[in-house]
Amino acid sequence: MSDRARDIDTLYRQRPRSRFLRGSGWLAAGLVAAGWLGGGFLGDPGWTPRRAENLTRFLGEVVPYPLQGEPWDWTVAVGWAREIWNERLAAATLETLAISVLAILLAGMLGGLLAPWATRSFARPDPFVPDPRPAGPARRAAWNLLVVVVRVVLALLRAIPEYVWAFLLLALFGPTAWPLVLALALHNAGILGKLTADMVENLERSTLAALRGLGAGRGAVALAGIVPLSMNRFLLYLFYRWETCVREATVLGMLGMVSLGYWIRDARARNHYDEMVLAMLCGATLVIVGDLVSAMLRELVRRA
Amino acid sequence: MGAEHAVTVRGRGPLAIRPAVALVLVLAGAWSVWALELAPSALWPGREGLVLAGEFFGRALSPSLTREGVDIPAGTPPLLLTALRAAALTVAFAAAAMLPSVIGGLLLGLGASSAWWSADRDRGRSGRVTWTSRVRVAVGPAVSACCRLLAAALRSVHELLWAVLFLAALGITPLAAVAAIALPYAGTLAKVFGEMIDEAPRPAAGALRELGAAPVVVLAFGLLPRALPDMTAYALYRFECGLRSAAVLGFFGFPTLGYYIAASFENLYYGEVWTYLYVLLALVAAVDWWSGRVRERLVA
Repeated sequence: MSDRARDIDTLYRQRPRSRFLRGSGWLAAGLVAAGWLGGGFLGDPGWTPRRAENLTRFLGEVVPYPLQGEPWDWTVAVGWAREIWNERLAAATLETLAISVLAILLAGMLGGLLAPWATRSFARPDPFVPDPRPAGPARRAAWNLLVVVVRVVLALLRAIPEYVWAFLLLALFGPTAWPLVLALALHNAGILGKLTADMVENLERSTLAALRGLGAGRGAVALAGIVPLSMNRFLLYLFYRWETCVREATVLGMLGMVSLGYWIRDARARNHYDEMVLAMLCGATLVIVGDLVSAMLRELVRRA
Repeated sequence: MGAEHAVTVRGRGPLAIRPAVALVLVLAGAWSVWALELAPSALWPGREGLVLAGEFFGRALSPSLTREGVDIPAGTPPLLLTALRAAALTVAFAAAAMLPSVIGGLLLGLGASSAWWSADRDRGRSGRVTWTSRVRVAVGPAVSACCRLLAAALRSVHELLWAVLFLAALGITPLAAVAAIALPYAGTLAKVFGEMIDEAPRPAAGALRELGAAPVVVLAFGLLPRALPDMTAYALYRFECGLRSAAVLGFFGFPTLGYYIAASFENLYYGEVWTYLYVLLALVAAVDWWSGRVRERLVA
């Protein structure tokens, strides 16, 4: 074996290896395999005559109503779409946007208020500067407990999908827009709260320690130190989550309230698939516009 | 040092505490409240709502371990077995959907990235211009734009809306659920994978290319290894999202956790609802923990 071959061999043997990662790879492969084998997907009957018939019927009904069975005519199609847009979809699109905006603002407030109490460097007897007289074990345990409780609450908020939140809140508030707004706000508050808490834990300590060392209380350190240091990144998270809010706001309406989702469900119930697809296209356009606006806003924040 | 200092003085602090930005945010909130005709008084749920909330949240700490209700038909499986089966199916849907999503996301993401053509474009002067590199430079930007557009279109339609479309077109089948999750997820993965490949450090790829390696080799050994840790971590995060999506698909008739959450809630069996919610919570928390450990080892 030449020297070079031996070197390569040695390097190969010394490559970083982790049993955990290897196990994770096998676990992931196993989950996918088990999913395909055990989920009943392979027993799918495939292309049956009934499905072909179903698909043909569907494709026939997706064509705008005045054009079904007629030759295609753009002016008629545009006129049909404009009429439905003016009648209900324009208002519904704006409502969808409003739901997402209000939801992300509420989520930001709730997440921002909860985040400091989930931050280990802040929620402790001696934030940022070690106390020469260490606090008693009872006080330290109380602060630790607070951090754990707030983190569990945040995990609970984000683990429950928006749709489930909206479903539960609908029973509580009745059919106004509040269940949708609150569902989005709660789920995203869980995400924003955790992201913000992790970010504050990783902030550079020197400024905060200096403030604390000058005798600032917890509130003053938060307002004069943490808020200015972390706000730009918080805004980045906010706009990034707003994109998903726009996406979800459409769908939540399918529970039977305002927003585009209401008209999607309504058209689906009446088997008017042409209107259903039109409403979905409005939603998709809103999502794409939202993505572009959010990307612009994030670029603005990054430059600031 | 001096320049840095000057910038700090000239900039007026973080964007978010500037009055103009705060004003815009407040105005946006006010507009939404007005557009939705929301009365803050509607936030008070009323007597019935309060009773319901009390009953529902009262069961949070005492989820059911056996079925609620009086006439339980013989042969109904025990609650915990149903919950476990629904959980297994939720995982199966999410895991099965990850395979096409990751493959589609990789292909679309590679297409969307500029990694496979920008080097050829920048290196016109170094002399080694072959006809394949000319083709790449000529079609690269257009292909990337098309891939980006396709990815944006796929993810702009929510997985539940894809599900509604598939249900209307094909009827209820588990494969429809997998496709409904896989299509928008492939779009999202393509966007993120493409950005990660573009942002990965390029020196190794450049060195390989200078040695005359074929583009496929440059990609496989120069670019992908640098982006792979981030991509793996993100794919795991999408799996966690997939679990939530699969659970919610239950509301549309697939027998995942959402199906049972809706059914039990409508029967007013709140204890059962909490059982299913806690099972979903455990699933999400487990994947969250797993992806956190993997990320620690891969990315750090």
